[in-house]
Amino acid sequence: MLKIQNLDCGYGRMKVIDAVNFEVGAESVGLFGPNGAGKSTLIAAVMGMVRPWKGSIELDGKRIEGAETHVIARMGVALVPQERELFPGMSVQDNLILGAAYIPHAKDHTSDQMEQVFSLFPILKERRTQYAGTMSGGQQRMLAIGRALMSKPRLLILDEPSLGLQPSIVAEVFEVLKALKSTVSILVTEQNVRESLRAIDRGYVLENGRIVLEDSAEGLKTNPHVIKSYLGL
Amino acid sequence: MVMKRRTAIIAALSIAAAVVLILWKPTVLIYGLQAAGLYAAVAIPMGLVLGIVHIVNLAHGEFMMVAAYAAYFGCKALGMDPLLAIIPTAIVTAVFGWVIFQLTIRRALKAPELNQLILTFGLAIAFTQTINLIFTSQTYKIPLDYVSASMDIGDLTFGVWSFVFVAVAIIFAYGVKFFLTKTMTGKAAVAVGQNPRGAAIVGIDVYRTYGLVFALALALVGAMGALFLTKSAIFPSVGSPFTMKSFCLIAMAGIGNIPGILGASVLLGVSENFLRAFRPTRDWAEIVFFVLIIAVILARSLKGRKS
Repeated sequence: MLKIQNLDCGYGRMKVIDAVNFEVGAESVGLFGPNGAGKSTLIAAVMGMVRPWKGSIELDGKRIEGAETHVIARMGVALVPQERELFPGMSVQDNLILGAAYIPHAKDHTSDQMEQVFSLFPILKERRTQYAGTMSGGQQRMLAIGRALMSKPRLLILDEPSLGLQPSIVAEVFEVLKALKSTVSILVTEQNVRESLRAIDRGYVLENGRIVLEDSAEGLKTNPHVIKSYLGL
Repeated sequence: MVMKRRTAIIAALSIAAAVVLILWKPTVLIYGLQAAGLYAAVAIPMGLVLGIVHIVNLAHGEFMMVAAYAAYFGCKALGMDPLLAIIPTAIVTAVFGWVIFQLTIRRALKAPELNQLILTFGLAIAFTQTINLIFTSQTYKIPLDYVSASMDIGDLTFGVWSFVFVAVAIIFAYGVKFFLTKTMTGKAAVAVGQNPRGAAIVGIDVYRTYGLVFALALALVGAMGALFLTKSAIFPSVGSPFTMKSFCLIAMAGIGNIPGILGASVLLGVSENFLRAFRPTRDWAEIVFFVLIIAVILARSLKGRKS
């Protein structure tokens, strides 16, 4: 699905991502690391928001590095950004509709997709006429996930989905990710490693722009470095 | 509830003011409304661009001036009435606007706001001076019979043609609102205006949307250019007061509030004509919009401080 080879990128003269090799198949992959390790930059590069300096990004064998964001979105990559990036002055329903309207393979299935999103997040159905900007942080996160699912993605990327959420909602979000695992490839960055290890098959640890570790979820759980730095045991 | 009470108070005051004016100085109300129609119809496209592309287009009135010149010479060459030129001028102006957008404004979208202001201000000067060089500062006008149509009510006689601007302003305001809320392209444009990053990640081509909205706004400006020609003489600097007044009206209505521009225009048009009705204050009419914009900004900042 997604294959990143020897990728360098950064801002100005500062290199943030250094020779990263990375792959997501038909599976659920976690990307862990401390603040400032480059997780969000790596995702921005995949989404065409940051231009790579070197290396390649392939989606199903097609090179996409340097392509524009909307083109990558139309190829079936959906992003749930850390900052949610909703349309605050539009209704929940319109936010969801726009999630599908410009995606060629999704726009004819808008109502089916919306039913599915409503069954995952019933609160969105209740609030469908409310402005997105007036909802709580947790509800906005659910809407951002719902909007991404509207596009019938083949690869769903979530950037820190649990950030700033209360524990009950974090658990709900990861339950949804587990449920989605069988139908879509997932890439999730997290600082909340403990929760996310339950929802993923495999994970990478990114530190100072380099991949320092790659293992299955089980392997990461027992890795001394992960236990010491990320699980806090 | 608070909003409703305030709206009711404003509505009651406006009706009271209108009744007083009808009994005391009916022409102030009539010509005030006509002027309001013209102001609003010109301001609405600028509001559309500001609300979605987030560019203060200081060449807005000058685009209308260029459109009016195009309509004039088109009409002269073909012996056509300016009313027939409305749609062709709209199309030509939209294409012209789209080209100018792609060549200049698009490149400044990520630049600091001051640079964008300098860019569009430069465009305004370039348009005015280019027209000045080619056609000199001479005025052009197409004489038309129907423009002087008048109506009598009792012993009151007034011109009625300019009411066409009121109709056009209402059509523009609700047409734009319909486009933005009921069509998918319009919703996508609103989405781009509210969050361009969010729009890109759902597959909307942000820059294409900016170009489209700019061209659409310029189509309205072009239509107004042809319509303006029915009533007024044109000369190179005829557009610049419209830039300032449009910006003033948008600031009064609040960015993104297209129907609010109608209300702000009525306030501006009626106030101007009210001052014009009395000899000692006649010359003050031109500065009313400054006073209004200062009052509105002051009121907003006081309200902001309270809450």
